[in-house]
Amino acid sequence: MSSPFIVDAHLHVGHVGSFFAPLIGEKDLLNAMDNGGISHSICMDHRTVFEGAEAGLETLRDLFQASGRRVYYLGTFDPRRAAGCLNALKQARDWPGFVGLKLHPSIHGVRADDPGYDQAWRFAADHDLAIMSHSWSASSTNPVQILSTPERFEVHIRKYPQVRFVLGHSGGRGSGRQQAIRLANQYPHVHMDFAGDIYDYRLLEKLVESVPVEKILYGSDFPWMDPGSNISRVLLAEIEDSAKSLILRGNAIRTYRLGVS
Amino acid sequence: MQEEWIRKTTEEKAELAKKLRFYDCNVWLGRPEGFPLAEELCPTSLKEVLDKRDVTGGLVSHWRGKTISAQDGNESVLQGLKGRGEDLFATWTALPLFPPETGPVPGPPGIPKEVRAVRIFPKSHHFPMTDWCIGSLCEWLIERHMPLFIWHTELDWPAVYEIAKKFPELAIVIETQVQKILYHTRSVFLLMRDCPNTLLETSNLAGPGFVDYVAQEFGPERLIFGSFLPVNDPLVAMGMILDAEIPQDQKEMIAGGNLRRLISEVRI
Repeated sequence: MSSPFIVDAHLHVGHVGSFFAPLIGEKDLLNAMDNGGISHSICMDHRTVFEGAEAGLETLRDLFQASGRRVYYLGTFDPRRAAGCLNALKQARDWPGFVGLKLHPSIHGVRADDPGYDQAWRFAADHDLAIMSHSWSASSTNPVQILSTPERFEVHIRKYPQVRFVLGHSGGRGSGRQQAIRLANQYPHVHMDFAGDIYDYRLLEKLVESVPVEKILYGSDFPWMDPGSNISRVLLAEIEDSAKSLILRGNAIRTYRLGVS
Repeated sequence: MQEEWIRKTTEEKAELAKKLRFYDCNVWLGRPEGFPLAEELCPTSLKEVLDKRDVTGGLVSHWRGKTISAQDGNESVLQGLKGRGEDLFATWTALPLFPPETGPVPGPPGIPKEVRAVRIFPKSHHFPMTDWCIGSLCEWLIERHMPLFIWHTELDWPAVYEIAKKFPELAIVIETQVQKILYHTRSVFLLMRDCPNTLLETSNLAGPGFVDYVAQEFGPERLIFGSFLPVNDPLVAMGMILDAEIPQDQKEMIAGGNLRRLISEVRI
């Protein structure tokens, strides 16, 4: 595939103990981007997702440079390690390629409406940064997802209308989706990405019918998922080419204020 | 310029999708279980839905075979496929052959010609996937060259390994539903290395480079295209094959050739 222009708004780098994948390192990531027609991406490494930004954002800063300023990054805020994370985020806020904060209530075991997250939202508001969070539906097979259901974020969304907020995974494959759609329609600063295996039949067609197209961001969740699994379904979906262009690129550039034209 | 790229790339992908003649082993009628946003696929709209996504036909199952009983599902899928065309065949739900059960289930005395594969649900239907329990079913399937399908969430890896080793002539298709198979790649890839009669369905074989990896490590004949329609969009699984960095003849095998061959070899 030539002329890469797609922006992958949700991917990771680094090994994960819970599975084997033949492609997982930084070189694999860049190859996957090239092969998928992806010009830029928003990345979180697994170490800081699990342990918070205090585990070190230098790896991501270096990857941004090594990638030719293609792989932008988020710093994860873990409310259990709030002081350490905030220090790391303060240090990173002027680093090139740093574009926002990542939350993961399910991994950190702290529900999304906990007041402990207020510091992260305040930080994003003060420094004009975006926040992207894992979101999902209540799940009998994965009970910790109850900590990340979209409506739990509303207390912060309401308080910080200046923070561009992205519901990662669009609230998952159950009732969380409807809540994500409600929030995206109700609040101008709420967006949703469909990274991961949100492989529902006609998802793109339904999302475009349900929320303004400017709210929908393409993401892959690499290396959990192949970038291609979500790109072809956008390109072959029965939606306008102008919508495909926004979903695959324009919306991510605007939401994360990426320094690309 | 971006919209020009989108238009051109979309056309190229759509053209390749038509060329590959996708043939789907994983289409479901009835009410999906465990996916609250998924809508039921009705027999009357089956062909239209497949045509819209450039899927030429395949194997159709019925959710009742899991959620109510093998007999209900088997009866329902045959009814649903009646008059729907020659490119659609049924997958029946199977049970251990002993004790013999009444109603339409695979086993003696025979099976309708529309049925070209069976699936078992050992966990949901409460039987172990062991030789002493399903060995006679495996022999019955081998006599008919009929493949055995199973969701990875319904099996124990040591048990499927033992069965695959014990019955090397039985084609066992491991399905990547109803949760991500990603967390079981260390098991499934070892199984495929050691048991050449195991194949892998592709609807959630969505990890990075997985299609290329399996094709290169174990051979393209080991992959069977499946969509898990109407829960999943066929475009997802199709996309992974369209984008794989493997020769086109291998893509054709994975997209439909391997399943057509399996179906054609069945002896009713």
